[in-house]
Amino acid sequence: MTGKAILLVVIGFSLTLLSVGQKFGSVSNRAVDNYVSYQKETLAHNIAISGANIAANEIYMNPTWTKGYSNMQFQKGNLDVTVDIVDADLGLREITATGTFMGKSSEVKIRIAPSNFSEYAYYSTYERSSPLSGGKIWWTGKDTVWGPFHTQDNLNVYQHPAFLGKHTSHKKSINYYKNKSSDAPTITGIYEPGKNLVIPPQAVENLEAAADDNGLKFQDKDSLYLIFDRDSLRYKYNYSDEYTALYLPTAAPNGLIYAKDMVVRLKGVVQGKYTIGCSSSSTTSTEKGTVWLDDDIVYATDPQVDPNSTDLFGIVAENYVYITENSVNNNNINIQASIFSENWGFGAYNYADRPVGGDINLLGGIQQNYRQAVGTFGSKGIKSGYTKQYRYDWRLAFMSPPFYPGTGGFRIVSWFE
Amino acid sequence: MGFTTLFDIAGSMIIGGILMMTVWNLSDASTEKTYSNSGELTVQQNLLILAQIVEFDFRKIGYCNSWNAIMDPRTKQPFNSSQAIIYADETSISFYTDLEPYDGVLDSVSYYLGPVSDCSETPNPRDRMLYRVENNETPRSANLGVTDFRMTYYDVNDNIISPPVLTRGLIKSIEINITVENTAAYDEKYSSAFWKQIRLASRNVSRSKTE
Repeated sequence: MTGKAILLVVIGFSLTLLSVGQKFGSVSNRAVDNYVSYQKETLAHNIAISGANIAANEIYMNPTWTKGYSNMQFQKGNLDVTVDIVDADLGLREITATGTFMGKSSEVKIRIAPSNFSEYAYYSTYERSSPLSGGKIWWTGKDTVWGPFHTQDNLNVYQHPAFLGKHTSHKKSINYYKNKSSDAPTITGIYEPGKNLVIPPQAVENLEAAADDNGLKFQDKDSLYLIFDRDSLRYKYNYSDEYTALYLPTAAPNGLIYAKDMVVRLKGVVQGKYTIGCSSSSTTSTEKGTVWLDDDIVYATDPQVDPNSTDLFGIVAENYVYITENSVNNNNINIQASIFSENWGFGAYNYADRPVGGDINLLGGIQQNYRQAVGTFGSKGIKSGYTKQYRYDWRLAFMSPPFYPGTGGFRIVSWFE
Repeated sequence: MGFTTLFDIAGSMIIGGILMMTVWNLSDASTEKTYSNSGELTVQQNLLILAQIVEFDFRKIGYCNSWNAIMDPRTKQPFNSSQAIIYADETSISFYTDLEPYDGVLDSVSYYLGPVSDCSETPNPRDRMLYRVENNETPRSANLGVTDFRMTYYDVNDNIISPPVLTRGLIKSIEINITVENTAAYDEKYSSAFWKQIRLASRNVSRSKTE
C-alpha cells in the first residue's frame, strides 16, 4: 500500500513537472520565434534593397535595361526585380524589387529619371575664370546656394558659405581660406565629396538633330537677333533689318530653337517651354556660340508669383552667355532661365570696366565650364558691373527645358520601402 | 497501537509536511516563472510590433507618390524630400511622408513619448505611452510598456547633431533606442527588452544619385 502511494506521488510530481517544463519551453520557443521572424523579415528587406540597387546600377550601365531578375538566388534568399517604364516622355522608370527569405518577403519600389544639368542651381567644371587664371574664386559667408550644387573643382570656402540644396558635391577636397573652424561651409542636403560629373562632349552640337526633327533651326548667318514675345518669336539677322515673327507652337513644336554657328542676341518674354541652343564651328574663336542678353528675358507667368507657371526656358551656349554692356542693362537685369555654357561661362561682358549695373535678378540655374565674373567690389561696395541676386527655380528639380543637356546618368526621384 | 504507531503517524506527518512544503514552493516558483516568462514574451512581442511600426514609418520619411508635383506646405515650393523632417528632438520627431493609400498628398506624422502620469494606473512606475499622430489628428497609442524612446540624429558626416534640430535637411540618419518593460510584474521584478536601430536612413532623405 505504502509503495503504491509513493509511486502515485512520484508519477504525480513527474506529470506536474513535465507540464510546467513544457509550458516554459513553449514560452521560450515563442520568444525565440519572435527574434527569428524579425530576423527573417530584415533579411528579406535587405535582399529587396540590394535588388533595387543592383537594378538601378544595371540601368545606369545600360539605360535600355528592362529585363529584371526572376527568382534569382541571393544571400540564401530569392530576388525578383521588374523594371517598368512609367513615363516614356520623361524617361521615368519604376524598379520593383521583392526579396524573399524563408517564407518572409519584402518589397521596395524606386523611381528613377534621367538626370539633367538643368537640375543644378550651380555647376562648374573649374572654380576659376579661365585656364590661364591661377586664382581661386571663393564662396564666402555672404553666399547661399539654395539648389543642387556641384563643382568638378575643389570647393573654396571663406567664412561659412551655405549650400542648402538637395545635394551638394565637389571634387575631393574643400579648401579653407584660413582653417576649418573659421570657414567650414554649412551643407544641409545630400553631400557627395569626390563625385565626378563632367559636361558631355558636344553637348550643344548634339541639339542639332532635335532641331532638325520638329524644332526650329537658324543657320548660314553670323548673327541672330531674337525677341521672345510670349507665343511668338521675332527674329532678324542684322541690326538694321526688320523683325520677322513666327508663331512658336508651330515653328518649334518640340520647343528647341537652334542657332548653328551663330551669335545670338536675346531678350523678351517667354511663354511655354523652350530652349535656345547656340553653337560654334570654330575651335579658336569664341565669338560664335555666344549668347548675348541684350535686355531682360523673363517668363510670361512668373513662377515666384504663380508656382503653377509652366513657362520654362533654357539657354544653352557652346561658348559664353554674356550680359551685354548697354544702357538698358545698366539698371538691373532680370533673367529667368537655366543657363548652360559648355566651354566657358555666364558673366557680364567687360565686367571690370563697365558702369555699375545694379542687380542680376536670376531665377533659374547656372551650369558652366569656367566660373565668370559679373562685377568688381571694393571696401565701399560695388565698383563695376552687378551684384548677384540668384534664386534657384525649384521647378528645375523636377522638370527641364526641352532637350537640355543631360548628365548621362539617372537620379532616384522616389524611394518606397 | 503503541509507540511504533505513534512514530509512524508522526513520521507520516513530517514527510507529508515536507511534501506539502515542496508542492507549495513548486507552485510558488512555477507561478513566478510563469509570470516572468510570459511577461518576457509579452515584452518581446510588444517591442517587435513597435520596432516594425517605427521602421515602417521612418523608412518612408520624405516619400511621396507624386514626386514631381507636390508642394512643401512650409515653403510653398516643390517638396524637397531631403528636408522632410519638420522637427526633431531626443524623444519626439515630426516628418512628412505619404501615408496609405499613397495618394500623392503629403501627410505629417509625429511620434512623441508621453509623461509617466499617462500610465499611472499600471503598477510599473516607468511605463509611458508612445504616441503616433497623423496630420494633427487625435494622438493614438496603446500601452505597450514603453519606458524609453530616444533618438540621436546624425548629419552627412555622421556627426551627432544636438537636439532640438531646427535646421531643415541637416539630419541624414537616426539612431533609435526603444526599451519596453512589463506594465505589471510578479514581485515588481519587471522584464525589459531593448531595441536599437543604429543608423536608420530613409533613402528619400539621404539617398544619393546614381550617376
